[in-house]
Amino acid sequence: MIMSDTDRRDRAEYEVPLGPLHSALLEPFRIRLFVDDERVVDTEITYDTAHRGIERIMEGMPVQKALIITERICGICSHVHLWNSTRMVENGLGIEIPQRAEYIRVIGNELERIHSHLLFLGHAFEILGHETFSMRCFMLREPVQNMLFLLSGNRVHYTISVIGGVRPRCDIDKEKKKNLFEMLNNLEEGCKNFANRATKDTLIISRIKDIGYLSKEDAVKYGALGPNLRASGVNDDVRMRVREYTDNFDFDYIVFDGGTVFDRVACRVYEVLESIKIIRQALETLPDEEPMNVNYEIGEMDFSHSYNEAARGEIYDSCALDESGRIRNYIDRTPSMTSISAMEVSCIGDHVTDASIIIASCDPCLTCTNRMTIVDEKKNKEYILSPEEVKRMTRRRKV
Amino acid sequence: MLKQVSRKNAVHIMLFYAVGCNGCDIEIVNAAFSPFYDLEQYKVILTWNPREADILAVTGAVSKKIAPALKAVYEAIPEPKLVAAVGSCAINGGPFCNLGGDLGSSDQLLGGVSKVIPVDANIPGCPPRPEDIIQAVASVIPLLADKE
Repeated sequence: MIMSDTDRRDRAEYEVPLGPLHSALLEPFRIRLFVDDERVVDTEITYDTAHRGIERIMEGMPVQKALIITERICGICSHVHLWNSTRMVENGLGIEIPQRAEYIRVIGNELERIHSHLLFLGHAFEILGHETFSMRCFMLREPVQNMLFLLSGNRVHYTISVIGGVRPRCDIDKEKKKNLFEMLNNLEEGCKNFANRATKDTLIISRIKDIGYLSKEDAVKYGALGPNLRASGVNDDVRMRVREYTDNFDFDYIVFDGGTVFDRVACRVYEVLESIKIIRQALETLPDEEPMNVNYEIGEMDFSHSYNEAARGEIYDSCALDESGRIRNYIDRTPSMTSISAMEVSCIGDHVTDASIIIASCDPCLTCTNRMTIVDEKKNKEYILSPEEVKRMTRRRKV
Repeated sequence: MLKQVSRKNAVHIMLFYAVGCNGCDIEIVNAAFSPFYDLEQYKVILTWNPREADILAVTGAVSKKIAPALKAVYEAIPEPKLVAAVGSCAINGGPFCNLGGDLGSSDQLLGGVSKVIPVDANIPGCPPRPEDIIQAVASVIPLLADKE
């Protein structure tokens, strides 16, 4: 039954506020859980403290300079933002890029997916209180960071793509390829062992099965994306429609039917193995040519857009360029934005102690999401916390 | 004397996430918490409670909205305390304050951490590598121990 907002809140006997700075949350967002007899009847997530106004900064900048800022939107899925925005400009201006560059971009994206999912798993297991698994995830993640460091020279902001191809420093030579293969083999072994262990562990399963149910209809209705959507039984992945993936690589899309926290965790565990498969294919069949096409001109561009699959779901970039190649009306829509409402819905009906893991299982990453400012002054005031309130919240010890 | 010895043996870092991109954030957690870099073996412990913190590590530029919260957290930390600005955004606002096109920098941001609270250590990098963070922490601990 769908209740109106006021109905739900009237039924609630107690309100549990978490955040914006709270021991259970790594990022500044605020969750209000409306609780009736220890069952969550409604949730409200507020996330407007981290707004940076990136789209507005980019307005009027030369395109080569502006695209690098898209990478600074997020420190977890940094490569895919830059890839997608570069791809959008290349599509709009009709710039051809060498296949070798496409392969290297795909390798970057898949490595990023692996490290994002492993970070998610480490965080989720930490919330569950299973420190051994959490540490294993962080230990598995370190070689991935080293691979990215070897590929590009930075651990977080790689800046692989540039209009026309990839940067020369990110090109994969013979020696690099050998090292990457070696690291990939070790990583695959570790991930396989971990996947066997994590998805069959009775302790973990007993804690995360049957909670945080998000039905297929709700997932579609509230716009869940990426692994959250696929864990609810909808087989939709933007990689199915991205030329770079469909033409060159053979891999499976992981779909689970349950829609619970367990499905969301398991979906990500198996996606890591699929990503390793893609990287191996890309390294094996890497075409031998120049990774950069420098014969292009930047001029006026009509509205252009591009979609791609980030670790958390669909990402969309669009803009136009004026005569001198400056950005006009940049739009960047990121996946966590729509996953927020899915998070809110999946909490309803569960025990209040499960809320933290349910929200974490939807993989919130709010750096890209803070993109709205509330115009209404009166409403705005409601959300700003007094210093006393912040102090009281932050003093609360980790449960 | 006893205070200084005991303080040296249990340094608590509190991570404050201002308006960053998660990059520095994860590198700090990586340096302190993950088994690979493991700062905890040197008795440097990550905490989320300002009452027991000694070092406040701030990542990201400071927005107008989060500034009061940052001030409140800073005031809640007992003396002696140190503040470390981690990453180029925390030092001077990074690309969001200094790369503005025709319209200048972002309206939402104040700039670096030093505009709100006094900063004792800057750790540059985008993001700084865990080794840099460990080195910075090691060089900051004597400052903390000398304070009365």
